[in-house]
Amino acid sequence: MRAKTRRKKKEQSEYFFDYSLLFIVLFLLGFGLVMIYSASSYEAFQTYEDTTYYMKKQLTAIVIGMVLMILVANIPYHFWERFALLGYLVSMALIPLVKIPGLGVESHGAYRWIKIPGLGLNLQPAEVAKLCLILFLAVMVCKIGKNVRTMKGFLLMILLPLPVVAEVYLITRNLSSAIIIMGISVLMVFVASPDYKKFVIMGILVAIAAVLVVVLAVSSTQNAAEGEEVNFRFGRIATWLDPESDATGTGFQTLQGLYAIGSGGVWGKGLGQSMQKLNFLPEAQNDMIFSIICEELGLFGAVAVLIMFVMLLWRMMVIANNAPDLFGAMLVVGVMGHIAIQAILNIAVVTNSIPNTGISLPFISYGGSSVMFLLIEIGLVLSVARRIQLKEL
Amino acid sequence: MLTDNNKIFHRKKILTIFLVCTGIFLALFVRLVYLCIWEAEHYAAQATQLHERERSIKAARGRILDRNGTVLADNRTVCTISVIHNQLEDPEEVIAVLSRELELSEDYVRKRVEKYSSMERIKSNVDKELGDKIREYDLAGVKVDEDYKRYYPYDELASKVLGFTGGDNQGIIGLEVIYDEYLQGEPGQILTVTDARGIEVEAAGERRLEPVSGLDLCISLDRNIQAYATQLAEQALATKEADSVSILVMNPQNGEIYACVNVPEFDLNNPFELPEGTPENLSEEEQQNILNGLWRNGCINDTYEPGSTFKIITAAAGLEAGVVTLESNFSCPGFIMVDDRRIHCHKRAGHGSQDFTHTMMNSCNPALITVGLRLGVDGYYNYFEKFGLKKMTGVDLPGEAGTIMHKKEDMGNVELATVAFGQSFQITPIQLLTTVSSIINGGRRITPHLGVQTVDAQGNVAERFTYPVSTDIVSQETSSKMRGILEMVVQEGSGANGKVEGFRIGGKTATSQTLPRGSGRYIASFIGFAPADDPQVIAIAIVNNPQGVYYGSQVAAPIVRQLYENILPYLGIQ
Repeated sequence: MRAKTRRKKKEQSEYFFDYSLLFIVLFLLGFGLVMIYSASSYEAFQTYEDTTYYMKKQLTAIVIGMVLMILVANIPYHFWERFALLGYLVSMALIPLVKIPGLGVESHGAYRWIKIPGLGLNLQPAEVAKLCLILFLAVMVCKIGKNVRTMKGFLLMILLPLPVVAEVYLITRNLSSAIIIMGISVLMVFVASPDYKKFVIMGILVAIAAVLVVVLAVSSTQNAAEGEEVNFRFGRIATWLDPESDATGTGFQTLQGLYAIGSGGVWGKGLGQSMQKLNFLPEAQNDMIFSIICEELGLFGAVAVLIMFVMLLWRMMVIANNAPDLFGAMLVVGVMGHIAIQAILNIAVVTNSIPNTGISLPFISYGGSSVMFLLIEIGLVLSVARRIQLKEL
Repeated sequence: MLTDNNKIFHRKKILTIFLVCTGIFLALFVRLVYLCIWEAEHYAAQATQLHERERSIKAARGRILDRNGTVLADNRTVCTISVIHNQLEDPEEVIAVLSRELELSEDYVRKRVEKYSSMERIKSNVDKELGDKIREYDLAGVKVDEDYKRYYPYDELASKVLGFTGGDNQGIIGLEVIYDEYLQGEPGQILTVTDARGIEVEAAGERRLEPVSGLDLCISLDRNIQAYATQLAEQALATKEADSVSILVMNPQNGEIYACVNVPEFDLNNPFELPEGTPENLSEEEQQNILNGLWRNGCINDTYEPGSTFKIITAAAGLEAGVVTLESNFSCPGFIMVDDRRIHCHKRAGHGSQDFTHTMMNSCNPALITVGLRLGVDGYYNYFEKFGLKKMTGVDLPGEAGTIMHKKEDMGNVELATVAFGQSFQITPIQLLTTVSSIINGGRRITPHLGVQTVDAQGNVAERFTYPVSTDIVSQETSSKMRGILEMVVQEGSGANGKVEGFRIGGKTATSQTLPRGSGRYIASFIGFAPADDPQVIAIAIVNNPQGVYYGSQVAAPIVRQLYENILPYLGIQ
């Protein structure tokens, strides 16, 4: 009897469940719900006569997401290996569906969502693509093994995500998702390959290209004659450098976000006290929620969020480093890259550190399909974590 | 399973990613610190400006008080009705109620209600009762703000002196213009926090910047004297069927104006009302011209040929220059030849032989022309300027008219002769009164004025006004001789109708024909001061175009006499 319990105890402690990661995710989700309610209740009442309209929709998505997460966490992650290629093809096939009338959902002049009949939920194919690509690349890294060190293997790994990236950018006109998908892929290849030189050169090339684009954008907006249409991405770059130059046009959202951050100061105005959410700041509960956090909770609230994201990345690093196999490690690296890139880009946009582009803040921003897929990814990470044998640590 | 070798480089790579991400988060933290601390003030101020809508609160305009503290201009609470477009819930009802209650055309109200602006004023100066009634409708988007409206308790009294204000609390004529900056005060503000659509955020409350009331203005005018003078002027206007009658009463020692009457006056509480008998269907411009004429202060804004009263100046100049003495003898054959022109005396038969005092008592033209000629053009012109006649008096009322006088180089003996008895040039009544005051008060040219001091809401004096005085216009001796001569004019001469039982009055009459000569239009006037040996009060009455008897001695002198019979005891003058 005694021996049996001891063995059971031993068995339990043999495998690892990352409660810290789960706690951080739950904290971010709960915090996000509070902030969504705070940021959206005013507008929700005006539009739907229901202050909790957005919060309730988000809560539904989170509940569904949590169920999926628990499901995924309890399935051994190797189960998904066989679906990798299928997932890759399906995500490629889903993206053009946004263009089909009746199925695609238009918002702000872009088609980025597909209506799921019967559920009343909108699905963003780009989210599906992110998840499927992480899975597909993780499988591919294991497949080509040491070949990733050759130039041919490296190029293959870089070229594999490109069709999806091109689709996302060209069909849904969603530059930010394209950048995120490309970024995730590069990070996974970076981890898979022992080489540094290639990636440093790639980084330098990207930096040079970025500078060139900025210079080109500035000169073209300056040379543009009165009334002449400037490429809208160029316009965004120009207003990034000086948001007050076009305070009512492209610089409007950025400037309103900066007003929010500035008026929050160090301690913030207090939860619920934001002024900017009263129709001043577009997308307050969505892409710009971080500026409402700054306004209500101040620098300290913002730093708390930054720390939570760093801790989340740290937990995922620990899991990736201790993953039982390369496939598990690559899955975790993909998810880690996804969350890191998205969080960094979102906060950079809100603080006007980079030109404005629509990116939501993982776990916190309003957005059902985004939070569901993020929770599925967390489920994968937890599934990897459960396979870690404690004696290996 | 990861091989150990692989594991090491994978781990290093993953750590690199983590560290780079942490580094970027750190950079974003620095950026946030910059925004939240260094830039906070800049953005917070812009945000506050964005969030607040302001409504101004009128400051209570300062009152105008007479020398005894009687309130001549006051404020009454009235309401301003405005609409806030974004808060409207039932625009049709708002249009219906406002156009009905405010008696405005529906189109007018509709235009303002439907205009997309943060706040649109529908009507100001609405009675408080009506404002309360509209407030009781409790219409969303309709604001009733209380403010003040100027109110003049004595309606027409001193209308052209006090002046009135416009809808924005700004002075339009009279003292209300000159002392506008003192009376106006600082308007306050109600700052309301609103959302982007302009809807008030109730929890945020209002921030009020309290208005600062304007200062009260104390003036030298005496309500009783003004009222009595007005009554006399109206009487004369009626009995003599004159065009207008002006009376100015002043303290010759310091220039304080006790009364300034120009009948017909107008109702300060309805300044835009056209006088009775005005033909209808006049153009806007014609109506405005009529109103401008109605609002003119004849004592200050209009010039006239003073006539014989100006002989006081000629006589004073002659005495001061020593070209005549009281003993000088003049002979009047009824006319005088100046160069090739024969200028008649008003008494065609002539005054015969007379001393200087009698020339003034008789108001003898040839004698005074002789004095003028003795001074010569240069000499006379010098005194004209020395007495301050070429400059304005500097009275604290708007639109003072300047003197219209020959250029010195254009003046020959004929012009000199006519100027000497008060013709061929024009001055304002206030100019004449001021100059005569400085001749009889010992030679000090004072500045006529109304404003004495401003007083704050607690009754403390905020500012006492001082006015320039120039001395040695004439010597004490000349001044004293002039007082004697002018007392004789009233006692035994042409000004006898200005005599007041029990008081020593000095004065001079004038009857001047207006241009063009021969039109039969005259201006009858009289200047009188008391007591003759130590003048404390000086008054001028001018009757413009009297019908029937038109002599100053018959028409104007009795007005001043009746005035003095009442106000000398009132002022405590012995």
